[in-house]
Amino acid sequence: MSRSLEEMAQDIVARASGTEQIEAWLSHSRDIEVKVYEGAVESLSSAEPMGAGIRILDRGKAGFAFTTDLTPAGLDEAVLIAREATEFVTPDEWTVLAPPWVSEPDDIEGLHSDRFDSVTPDDKVKFAIELERAAAGLDPRVRTVEEAGYSDSWTEVALASSTGIAGRYVRTDAWCHVVAIATEGDDTEVAFDFALGRDLRSLDLAEVASSAVSKAVGVLGARKIPSGRMPIVLDPYTAGQFLGVIGSALTGEAVQKGRSLFAGKLGREVAASGITLIDDGRALDAPGSAPWDAEGVPTKATTVIDGGVLSSYLYDLRSAARDDVGSTGNASRAGFKSGPHPAPTNMYLRPTGESKAEILERAGDAFLVQNFHGVHSGANAITGDFSVGATGRLIRGGVEDAPVKEVTIAAPMLDILSRIAAVGDDLRWLPFGGSFGGATFLIEEMTVAGS
Amino acid sequence: MDQTEEELLSRTLEVALARGGDWAEVFVERRRSSGVRLEDGRIEDVVAGRDSGAGVRVIVGDRASYAYTNVLTQEGLAAAAEAARAGLDGDGSPVAALVKDIPEITHPVEIDPATAGLGTVIEGLVAADAIAREAGPEVRQVVASFTDVNQQIVIANSDGTFVTDDRTRVRFAAHVVAERDGTISTGFDAPGHTGGLELLTRFPPGEIAARAASKAIAMLDARPCPAGGFPVVLAPGTGGVLIHEACGHGLEADTLVKDASVYSNRQGERFGSEIVTIVDDATDIGAWGSFGVDDEGVPAQRTVLFDRGILVGHMSDRRSAAKIGHPPTGNGRRQSYAHLPIVRMTNTYLLSGPDDPAEIIRSVVKGVYAGTFAGGEVNPATGNFVFGMSEAYWIENGQIAYPIKGGTLIGNGPEVLGAIDAVASDFGRKEGVCGKDGQHAPVTNGMATVLLRQMTVGGTET
Repeated sequence: MSRSLEEMAQDIVARASGTEQIEAWLSHSRDIEVKVYEGAVESLSSAEPMGAGIRILDRGKAGFAFTTDLTPAGLDEAVLIAREATEFVTPDEWTVLAPPWVSEPDDIEGLHSDRFDSVTPDDKVKFAIELERAAAGLDPRVRTVEEAGYSDSWTEVALASSTGIAGRYVRTDAWCHVVAIATEGDDTEVAFDFALGRDLRSLDLAEVASSAVSKAVGVLGARKIPSGRMPIVLDPYTAGQFLGVIGSALTGEAVQKGRSLFAGKLGREVAASGITLIDDGRALDAPGSAPWDAEGVPTKATTVIDGGVLSSYLYDLRSAARDDVGSTGNASRAGFKSGPHPAPTNMYLRPTGESKAEILERAGDAFLVQNFHGVHSGANAITGDFSVGATGRLIRGGVEDAPVKEVTIAAPMLDILSRIAAVGDDLRWLPFGGSFGGATFLIEEMTVAGS
Repeated sequence: MDQTEEELLSRTLEVALARGGDWAEVFVERRRSSGVRLEDGRIEDVVAGRDSGAGVRVIVGDRASYAYTNVLTQEGLAAAAEAARAGLDGDGSPVAALVKDIPEITHPVEIDPATAGLGTVIEGLVAADAIAREAGPEVRQVVASFTDVNQQIVIANSDGTFVTDDRTRVRFAAHVVAERDGTISTGFDAPGHTGGLELLTRFPPGEIAARAASKAIAMLDARPCPAGGFPVVLAPGTGGVLIHEACGHGLEADTLVKDASVYSNRQGERFGSEIVTIVDDATDIGAWGSFGVDDEGVPAQRTVLFDRGILVGHMSDRRSAAKIGHPPTGNGRRQSYAHLPIVRMTNTYLLSGPDDPAEIIRSVVKGVYAGTFAGGEVNPATGNFVFGMSEAYWIENGQIAYPIKGGTLIGNGPEVLGAIDAVASDFGRKEGVCGKDGQHAPVTNGMATVLLRQMTVGGTET
């Protein structure tokens, strides 16, 4: 790459003509991914992708184009496509580019690891093989490790705009996952777990292997339980999935467009009084952190639910202008091929001061949910319906007991929120469809449909 | 690359195998796409772009090394080839002379979105919005969107395969939100095909949006879904997702060879009655999951998976086919040049039977009519699945009595095949996007009205 990403971003902005304003968002990364099977590399992929997303604003209309051709001719063409796109858009008074920074937004501590480059491709292969070996050797009931993999990426992002924003940040990400299949008699169970961090050395291989294996083995011999109402404990994984579902309904845009169960509830009680929901775009070691959002607005922490009361929605610039408030720094992009849209950054419930063990003890006799099935189909953030399959374990007298499967748990999401009685101190980030911090949640009572 | 394309690809393959390796492949993709979205009665987003790149794959034993680049010059391709051969230090392996081939099967594009402009599309979206809102005062929101993608593909490998494919896919989606007295419901429909803007004539956006709106309004009156064991009638088209998830994924050879499928080592076994024949068919002209050649250059095929109840087939890409000693079935697909090909379904159909759909409903005393599934989850190792029903009705004494909500179907792939008691003749297709290993692929599910003798229904009413 002969020119820096920042220079290319400025080059694009310089192509604005007439009353146009241009925003250019570019990314460049170095990615590697290794998958192993039965002690050998199954696949090893590497790449250095880059691309540009270009937004042109003209008289209240925004058009967007993207390209992987970063030659001057390629950029010319993309600008032309974005310009043409503006012709078809319905104009409005809310679409604006971010105002210039008063001062450069603070860096996020630890967003990129200094030791990232010291990890060799060989180290990565060895790590994945070791992960597979660890998972395969933990329990004789593990029939096969269907998948074990490691991937990481070094990514730089640059943003420039006609309003004078010019910035760049670098992040590093490392990820590993393992899928274990356990068999006993006629029963077969599959389980997945993962870890994420800023570099290979921050991943706890043994923990991932043992977690996936104990999930798979732990459900062997599981049965349905009789239908009824009982306290539910979500583990950090399923709790994070639950937050992921409600998170999409907490943007100002979802409310404005009639796509949110939280519409019209600002200032009202939407959760138990002990519940505080935070979206923090600057959370340390969280996957959704960045110094500024996808429009260049500095990120921050927003209290969305404060002691059970809905206190704020999450905004990008456009949805904020529509509600006559300020952006909360929640513009997000799925990469250079997508324009900015509001979304949670890192969303989590503030811990209520109890450990997992204390929560289990308090739950007494309950159902501990370790896996949801069919969240995408059974949970609807527009209607608030939540009805999903679940597997996990019975809790008896505060202690984990027999495994359970093939049951359904169901309740309106607002009922679930109003019954969360405790949030554990075991926060864990899930990077699926955003970044959501799960922890052990105690839900006072829900309907479980079993046998 | 025209004149020198063959040379360029040969040269890249030579670089890829210059230090040894069993086999190498170059996959070049030039993708043009655009999308328009209407919401709130306004054209909110117009997005268009170009995404081009090439991936080089080198196979050594059981190991695949892959590298890709966005730079489609000789230098860019050579750099990718060198990255893909990293770690090899042997003598060079031979590259066969490339012989250019074109796919036998082509999917016609009557109105090319690239040249037609966005006028018709925007008219369609505006009409969809207006017609959906006419469906009733309960309609609160209409999201109508249109996407088109053109993929030009060139695949060359060291065995001499050199083939191109040109795929145009378009899809229209209508999503309607309805509300009455604080109760909210949604309706969704999204037809698509491999072809051009003629889709909008075959499936007029207004009609599609009206259907989504009437679903959303109907579901406002839904009562809680009963839980228990009941007969289930699957609506034409949408019910196919059950076959896709619970039977199809387990017959993908990558899963089979890892002994990670409930169907592993069970070829020849009977799973359903004589009326159960299931195929995966990438040759269905114009279908959403069709193509000329797959993403490894293997011609599109029709593969019989279950023949009159008996498991007779599987789906494979080149690698998994080699492992099980069969020719590949043309199911090697990838999301883009940035991805390794994996085994994927294309258009998966339960073939129609002789029964009358109305008669099937009449035969049910108490049961569930599953109109639309919102998606689902399946465990390929066991075949166990859970599917949410976003549109469903309770059947009482042979009549559709009232809509029900919050219901899920819980079961097992082999169990479903065994439970198929009747298959009607009203075949329908439903287009979708299937996710596997983080890659997305367009797929079609197809079936007629089907009666399942008994299924576990998860609901809130016990």
